[in-house]
Amino acid sequence: MLEAKSLQKNFGDVTAVDGITFKINKGEIMGLIGQNGAGKTTTFRMILDLLTPDQGEVLWKGKKLTNKVFNQIGYLPEERGLYPKVSIEDQILYFAQLRGKSKKEIKPLIDDWLEKFDVKGKRGDKVKTLSKGNQQKVQLITTLIHQPELIILDEPFSGLDPVNAELLESGIREAQANGASIIFSSHNMNNVEELCDSLIMLRDGNQILNGTVKEIREKFGRTKLFLESSLSLEELKQFPGVQSATVNRDGISVIQLSAAENGKAIFDAATADGYIPTFSQQPPTLEEIFKRMVGEKNE
Amino acid sequence: MNKFWVITKEVYKKNVKSTSFIIMLLAPLLAIGIFYGISYFIAQDEKNAEPSAIAVISEDPAIQDVFTIEDGPYEVQEDITTQEAAEEALLDEEIDGYLTISETGNTIDSAIVHTDSLTNIIPILNEQLSNYQTLLRANELDLSQEQVMSLSEPVVIEESIVSIEDGNLTQEENNDTTVKEIGAYIVSFAVYMFILFYASIIASEVASEKGTRIMEIILSSASATVHFFGKLAGVMLILLTQLVVYGIIGFVTYFFVKDSATIQGLTQGIDLATIAKELLGYTSIFFITGVLMYVVFAAFFGSLVTKIEDVNKSITPIVTLAIIGLYVGIFAFASPENIVPVVFSYIPLFTPFVMPFRIASETVGQLGIWISIIGTVGFTAILTYLSFVFYRANVLIYSDGGVIKSLKRSWGLLKSNRKAKKINS
Repeated sequence: MLEAKSLQKNFGDVTAVDGITFKINKGEIMGLIGQNGAGKTTTFRMILDLLTPDQGEVLWKGKKLTNKVFNQIGYLPEERGLYPKVSIEDQILYFAQLRGKSKKEIKPLIDDWLEKFDVKGKRGDKVKTLSKGNQQKVQLITTLIHQPELIILDEPFSGLDPVNAELLESGIREAQANGASIIFSSHNMNNVEELCDSLIMLRDGNQILNGTVKEIREKFGRTKLFLESSLSLEELKQFPGVQSATVNRDGISVIQLSAAENGKAIFDAATADGYIPTFSQQPPTLEEIFKRMVGEKNE
Repeated sequence: MNKFWVITKEVYKKNVKSTSFIIMLLAPLLAIGIFYGISYFIAQDEKNAEPSAIAVISEDPAIQDVFTIEDGPYEVQEDITTQEAAEEALLDEEIDGYLTISETGNTIDSAIVHTDSLTNIIPILNEQLSNYQTLLRANELDLSQEQVMSLSEPVVIEESIVSIEDGNLTQEENNDTTVKEIGAYIVSFAVYMFILFYASIIASEVASEKGTRIMEIILSSASATVHFFGKLAGVMLILLTQLVVYGIIGFVTYFFVKDSATIQGLTQGIDLATIAKELLGYTSIFFITGVLMYVVFAAFFGSLVTKIEDVNKSITPIVTLAIIGLYVGIFAFASPENIVPVVFSYIPLFTPFVMPFRIASETVGQLGIWISIIGTVGFTAILTYLSFVFYRANVLIYSDGGVIKSLKRSWGLLKSNRKAKKINS
C-alpha cells in the first residue's frame, strides 16, 4: 500500500508541489492527471525517493519509502530510453538485475513477455533496429517483468496506437490482478476513466480533485441530459436552467443544465405522452471536468 | 548479484567490445609495428645492397690482401692494378673509388679517389692503413706480437656520474637521465591519451543515460552512490584491461625478439630494466591518480549534459586542462627549473604531466615528490566526493542553458534536498 501524506516541494521560490495526499491499496490503480508542469513528475520523483519532499512523507506498506524497497518498484519514465546498441534480451536482463532479479529467473520469461506484448523482433535483436512502438513495448516489459508491487507509469499511453494501448491496458490489469499498487499519469481521460479506481488531479502543484472516478463525476452533478423525444430544441431552451441545447449526430438532443434538479421538469414534459426512447441525465465526463478545471484557472 | 557489480559489468562489457576501445588498444601497437616494420625494411635494404667496390693500386700487389675482409662493407677488385684501369672502372661505375698506396721505407702514403657512396667506408680504410703501417714499423723495430698489442692497448676510463644535491655530490646509481626522460615522456603522453579516451567514455556513459532518461530508471533501482562508483569501477577495469593487454604483449614480444639483432641494435645503450623501474615507480602513481582524477571530473561534467549530443562540449574543459598539462610538461622537459613547471608540478590537475619530467631531470627532492603525491591523491579524493555530491542532483536537472546554468540549478536542488532532509530527520 502506497500512501502520500501532504507532500510539498519547493525549488527556490517556486512551489512545484503543494499538499498532495493520496492512498493506493494493494491491487488498486490510481490516475494522476494534470497539465504539463502541474507537478506530476515531481510527485513521481518524490515517491521514488529521487527528490526529498520539503514537507510530508511517502509511506510504503506503512514504512517510509527508501531505496531498500527499490526492488519492488517498476518505473516507466515519461521520456523513454533504452540503450540502442544492446540486444532486447540484454536490455531486459540488465534492468531486471538492477531490480535484484537473477538472469536465471528472468531469462525463461522473456519469450512469453515478448509474445504478450506482440513485440516484432527476436530477443537477440539490437534495440535500435526496432520501431519506436516496439521499443516502447520493450520498455514496458522492463518495467513489469520483475513483478513489481509498486508500479509507476508516467504517460504510458502516449505514442501507442489503439491496438498497443489495449495490450498495455491488459498488462496493467494483469499486474493489478497480481496485487500491485499502480499509479499512472495520462493526458488521455478515456484511459483514466477505464482503468482507474481513483484519481487525483493536479493544477499548479495543488491537488484540486481526489476520489474515485464516479465520486468526482457525481460531485459535478448530473447536469448533462441526453434526450430523444418530441420536444424541439426551441421548446427545450424555454425550460428554466437550460444553458444550451444542441442535437448531436445521432439525432439526440444534448442539453446542458445548470443544476441536476432542472431535469425533472423536462422529464415530465417529455414523457407527458408516454414512452420516449432516451432520457439520460449524466455527470460531466472526466475530459469535460479536466477542461473545465483548467479553464477556471485561465479565466 | 550485487547491483554495484551489475553496473560495473554492464559498463565494462559494453565498452570493451566497442570499436573505439579496440582502436585505442591497437593504436600504439600499430605505431610500434609500423616503426619496426620500417626499420626492418631499412635494415633489409642495407643487407641486400651490393657492397661498395674499390680498387687498390700499389707496387706491391700483396697489399691488396690487407684490405680484403670477408663479408665486409666493401670488396676489393683484385684484377684492377693500374691507375688507368681504375679510372676507367670508376667511369664505368664498376667501382666506387680507388686507393693508391706507396711505401717509402716504413711510411705509407695513400690517396683515395671516390664517389659519395664510399664516404662511410673511409674510416675503415684509414684504420686498415694505420694498422698496416704499425705492422711495418713494428717489424722494423723487431717487436714481438705481444709488444705490438701492449703498445696499442687503449686506456680504460672508469666513469661515474654524480649530481649536486644540497651542496653535496651524490653518486648516481644508474646514471641515465635520458632513460628517465624517455619514461617521463611516455607517462606524460600516456596520461594525456588515456585521459582523453577514458574521460570521453565515462562522460558519454553518464550523458547518454541521462539524455535517454535511463538514468531515472537506474536511480529508482539502485542508489546514486552505487551507480556513480559502479560506473567508475567499470571504466577503471577497462583501463586495467588495456594495461594488462599491453603488459602481456610486451612480455611475450620481449621473449620472442630479445635475441634478434635488429632489436638489439635498436635497444643498444638503453637499459630496459631502468625504463621499467622508472615506469613502475612514482610515475605509475602519477599515471593512475592522473587518469582517475580526470575520469571523475568527466563523470561530473557528463552528468550536467541534457542531450547526448552535447557530450563533446561538456568535456571541453577537461581536454583544455589536459592540453595545458601536456604543454607545461613538454616545457618542463626543456627547462625543468623554470618557475612555471615548478609551480605547475604542485597543482594537482597538472602534477601527473609535469612532475615526471622534474623527477627525470632530478630537479625535485624526495620531499617535493611526496608532497605532490599526497596533493594529487588528496585532491582526487576531494574531487571524487564533490563530483559525487553534485552528481546526485545533476542527473535530475534538465536545462536548455549552458553548463553554468545547470550547475546553478543543481546547486539549488542540492540545497533544497539537504534542507528537506534536515527538517525531516
